[in-house]
Amino acid sequence: MKTQKISVFVSALFLLIGMNAYAQDAQVILKEMDKVMYSPKDMTGKTTIILIDKKGKEKTREANIIQKGTDRRIFRFTAPAAQAGIAVLSLPDDVMYMYMPAFGKERRISSSVKSQNFAGTDFSYDDMEAKPYSEKYTPKLISTEEAVFVLELVPLSKKSKYSKLIVKIDKENYTPTTMDYYDRGGRKVKEGTYTFVQVGEYWNAQEMSITDLKKKHSTKMLMSDVKYDQGFTDDEFTVRKLKQ
Amino acid sequence: MKIASPIIVAVLVFVMGTNIVSAQDELKVSGELLSNQRVLLEDPNDWAWKENRLTIKLNKKISGDSKFYSEVWLRNIDLPMITSSADMYNKGTLDPYNLEVREAYVQLYGILSDNLDMKIGRQRITWGTADLLNPTDNLNPYDMEDVLDFGRHRGSDAFSFDYYFNSEFSIQGAFVPFFQPANTPIGMFSNALAPAMEMPPGLTLTGLTDQLMMPESNLAESSTAGIRFKGFVAGFDFSLSYLSGIDGIPVSTYNTFTPVDAMGGISINSQLSFYRNQIIGADLAGSIMGVGVWAEAATFLPEDDIVMTSDLSALYAMPAGTIVQDSIMLKKDAYTKYVVGADYTLSNGAYINVQYLHGFINERGSDALNDYFFVRVEKSFFDAKLKLSPINGGYIVSDWDDVENNHTLIYIPEITYMATDNAEISLTAGLFDGTGSNAFASFNDYDMLMFKFKYSF
Repeated sequence: MKTQKISVFVSALFLLIGMNAYAQDAQVILKEMDKVMYSPKDMTGKTTIILIDKKGKEKTREANIIQKGTDRRIFRFTAPAAQAGIAVLSLPDDVMYMYMPAFGKERRISSSVKSQNFAGTDFSYDDMEAKPYSEKYTPKLISTEEAVFVLELVPLSKKSKYSKLIVKIDKENYTPTTMDYYDRGGRKVKEGTYTFVQVGEYWNAQEMSITDLKKKHSTKMLMSDVKYDQGFTDDEFTVRKLKQ
Repeated sequence: MKIASPIIVAVLVFVMGTNIVSAQDELKVSGELLSNQRVLLEDPNDWAWKENRLTIKLNKKISGDSKFYSEVWLRNIDLPMITSSADMYNKGTLDPYNLEVREAYVQLYGILSDNLDMKIGRQRITWGTADLLNPTDNLNPYDMEDVLDFGRHRGSDAFSFDYYFNSEFSIQGAFVPFFQPANTPIGMFSNALAPAMEMPPGLTLTGLTDQLMMPESNLAESSTAGIRFKGFVAGFDFSLSYLSGIDGIPVSTYNTFTPVDAMGGISINSQLSFYRNQIIGADLAGSIMGVGVWAEAATFLPEDDIVMTSDLSALYAMPAGTIVQDSIMLKKDAYTKYVVGADYTLSNGAYINVQYLHGFINERGSDALNDYFFVRVEKSFFDAKLKLSPINGGYIVSDWDDVENNHTLIYIPEITYMATDNAEISLTAGLFDGTGSNAFASFNDYDMLMFKFKYSF
């Protein structure tokens, strides 16, 4: 009886150690992915956003992005004309401002908006957030395939509209290749794919595509004219700059 | 056609000159074409509003540290006033268009100090955090031409600056050297915001003329100046402001009564004057448990009691001396207008916006301030091609002791269709049911259908 108890205890211990090792691996892998995605000190670029409806009809939006670190960003639309000039400033601690040229003043975005889709795309404000994944999710290594690690990410925030994300991460360069989003009911609601190319010493998400499976609507984001490490200070990410 | 002020001319000359010297950034031209038509629902469906507007916006970065911006309206509004066949020879009368310079300014960044920005020229200086109705927003004159376009202001020829202490605190100053009165509603709404005139028993008003007494044309009398401190603390944006300026809506200060017949008919010549206010304002905006919240208040301090003198001498036909009667139109006492509001986006994408306002733009004095409750619910469908606002409107109470006879219900449901990325078509109903003295009670007979087409380029 005593031997049996010890055996159960040892098995449980190994299981715990094993699970912890997996968790550690998952954490390490996710942090590596964050490192690859967010290692530039700052970045500027142009993005072309292509919205594709279920009939295959396309609409295009264009914007300029300027970003510093993982928590400061200005996203400014340049096309179409009806949206040109609309800009969003993201700051630390979930503070976001929107500038609407028609009103001539900035406005705080309430956090209830953050789970909504951003400017007609299939990305929510939350999806667009540049905060590292390792700070937003608890990772678990589900499997290791030939070329990718497969991680399950569970949101730390109970406010998230997702129950989990399944992300495949390239074993060689730690860039994400696909990301699937599951709602609170456990249903897959979005599929994302990523194409990274190396620009200088960094990996740039040249193309990101996300499909809303329920709406059968897709968004493709293409990055161009990307420049890294131009030495931006925090002063570039203020309401003053947003309005300029 | 309006005559451009010297400041605007100077700004345009500066920009054109700079254009030749430097062309670091291309001139960006954008704008919109707007057709805004309204007809009354009641047969025979009179036109309530007829406007076609071309907005041209020019935006040019002159160098890395300055830019020029202008917004001009070229438009045709209301039906032409044709009274004789001679008018038919004149295309300007048959098809009148006017040009309005809404803004034309140069903005300089980091001038004198890295933290100082300046703006010179015709500009809109927006104060306040509330939605459209901002009691603290008093630097620019109200543009009340369209009574349903709440909170619209004209630009002012002004100088303003922003000094940024850091990314969270800043101070803004503005100086408007010339006084520009508000413009009043036009068309069938021309008397909507005017106070009702009560006649003594037995007298009937048969004619009314008025004379506007503008402030003296000097800096001391006609200028407006304001200062605003802005900050961000504990997750809330806030600001405190002070302004000294002339109220853009005149008040009647001297009325001369003249009999016109033996039946009690009289005509009145009214002298309308403007008065100076000190305005202390405060506002804040933030988010509480995911709900966007804002509050804004402005305390108005008229410099003196506003007294209306009624000259009744002609009514009594007394050759010697005058018979006058004084009544106080507005006491010197402080009164406060305020707004509180909130908005929230539900998980299904429906947007809800509620606001409570105490004191509309035309209301003066603590006893005259009415209560306004506004609500708007909207939701987009079909990849945001269609937007419905089934609940949109307000409820106004002008006397809480007798709500039944002093209230107005406004219901403005709207449907908007994005035909293309840049073409927006909207159909709106405006339904009014009111009674009592509030301005919107007079809209009772003006239930209308509104059609708007906007194309951005």
